[in-house]
Amino acid sequence: MAVALQILASGFAAGAVYGLVAVGHSLVFRLTGVVHFAFGELIALGVFVTLLVAAGSGPVSQTSVGGARFVLALVVGLVVTAAASAGAYFLAIEPYRARGSVIGWVGASLAVAFAIRTLLVVFFDRPAYVFPDPLHFGVWRIGDATVQQRSLFVAAVALALAAAGWLVLQRTRFGRALEAIAQDFDAARLVGLPVARLVGAAFALAGVWAGLAAILAAPSAAFDVDAAARLGLYGLLAAVVVWFDPRRALVAGIATGLLQATVTSAHIGSAQLGPAYRDVVPLALGLVLLAWRARSLTETVE
Amino acid sequence: MRAELGGAARDVRASWRPRASWTAAAFALAAVGPLVLGDARTADIADGLYLACAAIGLAFAVGVAGLPSLAQGAFVGVGAVTAAHVLAAGWPTAAAALAGAVAGGLAGALVGLAFARLPPAGFAAATWIVSWLVAFALQSITWFLGGSQGLVVTGGPSAAQHYALALVLTGLAALAYLALARSPIGLQLAAAREREPAALALGVPVLRIRALAVAASGVAGGVAGALAVQLAGIGDPSQYGPFLSFRLFVVVLIGGALSPLGPPLGVLVLGVLSLLADLVGRLENVAASRAHTLLTAVMLLGVVSLGWEGIVRPSARRRRDGHAATRPAPQGSLTATGLAKSFETVAAVDDVTVAVAPGAITALVGPNGSGKTTVLRLLAGTVEPDAGRIESAPVARTLQATAIFPTLTPLEHLLVASSARRSRAGVLRSLFATPQTREEDARFTGEARQLLERFGIPRDVPAGELPVSDQRALMLACAYATGAPVLLVDEPSAGASAAEATRLGELLRTLRDEGLAVLVVEHNLGLVRRLADRVIVLDAGRVIADGPPDAVAADERVRIAYLGNQAL
Repeated sequence: MAVALQILASGFAAGAVYGLVAVGHSLVFRLTGVVHFAFGELIALGVFVTLLVAAGSGPVSQTSVGGARFVLALVVGLVVTAAASAGAYFLAIEPYRARGSVIGWVGASLAVAFAIRTLLVVFFDRPAYVFPDPLHFGVWRIGDATVQQRSLFVAAVALALAAAGWLVLQRTRFGRALEAIAQDFDAARLVGLPVARLVGAAFALAGVWAGLAAILAAPSAAFDVDAAARLGLYGLLAAVVVWFDPRRALVAGIATGLLQATVTSAHIGSAQLGPAYRDVVPLALGLVLLAWRARSLTETVE
Repeated sequence: MRAELGGAARDVRASWRPRASWTAAAFALAAVGPLVLGDARTADIADGLYLACAAIGLAFAVGVAGLPSLAQGAFVGVGAVTAAHVLAAGWPTAAAALAGAVAGGLAGALVGLAFARLPPAGFAAATWIVSWLVAFALQSITWFLGGSQGLVVTGGPSAAQHYALALVLTGLAALAYLALARSPIGLQLAAAREREPAALALGVPVLRIRALAVAASGVAGGVAGALAVQLAGIGDPSQYGPFLSFRLFVVVLIGGALSPLGPPLGVLVLGVLSLLADLVGRLENVAASRAHTLLTAVMLLGVVSLGWEGIVRPSARRRRDGHAATRPAPQGSLTATGLAKSFETVAAVDDVTVAVAPGAITALVGPNGSGKTTVLRLLAGTVEPDAGRIESAPVARTLQATAIFPTLTPLEHLLVASSARRSRAGVLRSLFATPQTREEDARFTGEARQLLERFGIPRDVPAGELPVSDQRALMLACAYATGAPVLLVDEPSAGASAAEATRLGELLRTLRDEGLAVLVVEHNLGLVRRLADRVIVLDAGRVIADGPPDAVAADERVRIAYLGNQAL
């Protein structure tokens, strides 16, 4: 029971962040037909820029950073993420999307991913980073269970961000314009929408949304570029399994987080999969679901 | 036996080109490499050649099949793990290489069957996830490669022997690429890459051959991994993951995916680049491995943003001449009775009976929205009827738009269309070019040439560069080349000039005279009247007239259906 509660809390928090990344992937795919392989690395960029502004590149302890400087760092980090995200779109994705060259945009977005990753590894060359934490959270003890208050905070903020994103898409002119582009890219251009600018803005927004969630979650554990790449990967997994439907992608992301927490911590008697399988099981299961889904996808196409 | 070898030698001589001479010279030069290079360099180059072998496999999936596969690093890893365990059990190198190839091929077939039906973007995403999955599994499940410690692999050939082995393997992979790309399967893959619906309409088993292409790339990756792990002496699980997949993808993009010479040149470029990176890294005091990755990524960005299509462009394809025995015209007819089909609540087709007789042109006409296209789809079997029965010999259908494969030549179009009739064009037979396969090849090529001459279509230009009139004729020729006795022709004259319509009419007539059963859906009533032996008129999903053209033209109900209930 205690384990179940812990799994629920930590899995839900991690899953909510995956969910936001998955929503970002879905938005990008629906707008452009492109899979954004550099999404995780762009999030890493945001997190590390925030870290750099907040604490320099020296050693950081969780409590060494004050509130005002952290807010500044957060803003700078998000602006950089937005700029890099939009930049990646104009530089590496739009030219190939327009030409209909799948091989081209796959190569280009992977190249962006590895370029960012290497730059980050060169500048932040320690194995893992502790992230400053201006908000101090404690733990709740419920019976035998220890629940990190931070997980609930992260989950709540991620859900709030998802809700805010949904409102933007549903209620604003910007959102309706994006919907028009998703329905028919060329028709949207023909009726005079500034398509390139809008899609660039959507890329930036998707990056900011996911980056914000990642920054909030970062103090929960040691952070490195691989952790961010994993965020991108699990976000992609959740998105592709539901074939890029934004609302289901959020749910799929949460389910992924819960599954991962279950694999890591749950045990039946002494039988346990354990942390070694925390990546293998969700990815394998996701691939099986995707293969199943592929069958119905073709049926609807024909 | 001697005659067969002589025939094979003649074929090789006929298709020999300057590029082949250059390649052979480079190959011979490379063979003396270990004599002048040190042991360490020899091993480095052997490793690069194994990488090239894996990349040639990937190039087949990416270039010929058009599948953006990001799982090649995973297949290499699967081959390496399998080989490491086979060697640990005391088996020799050859057995390990074979086991690696089989394991890589099985992994490829599995990935292909599971995900080849996804759209390309989905295929890229799925194979990327596969790469990560294999990387995680190798690192976390210690049974595979000993976890983070790695698994020591002892024994095996010397560096110089590996070099020779790698060189031969790369050469064989390149030859296999060529053989498969030229085979009917390669042409079918190219057709599906260029325009999937049109390929499906010609009966190309798209899913199966794509899975086959991924399996082939898995075999190349698996055998390369199996041998490279022995060269390295240790199975390092951190080697096989997304980064390796990415590197192989870069190699293919830089070198060119449409020729087997591209990947080795891509590896060469990457090797020179990493030497430069070492230099820069020493100046800037950055660990060399990091500089490699950055340079690779920046290089790729540069390459793709210039719209580069690789160092090596495919050479012009030439095919052997063959003497075609004239094929007896296939005989068969089509009868459909009481067909019905509703979409939602709208009855698109209601109680339609159609008979298409051999040696006759039957025209299906009717105002817009009368259900002609639905009937055609029902007859072609792409839509299931709600009610009714269809008895038919095999049918071939042309699509309404000019659905050609732009980079394939007309000759290749016909070889794609006729490949369903071939019995000796499987993967293994094509790889080894058995005498029967080459005989069959020559026969079908000859038949295709004859057909192109008869239809007045030039044969060796990319079809995308043909005038529209030739493209239409080509589509008809493709339908004929499938060998189906019943042809369903959808709007042959849509958007065609009078001269084009006349040419198509002539062609249809010659097909009829040969004894084929032809059903034409057509808007151009003048053409129908000149062409058809029998006319069926549809209105609102029902047959309102059926008979010889003159009788139908005089029918009051047909006049009303077309012109409304008023006098002109």
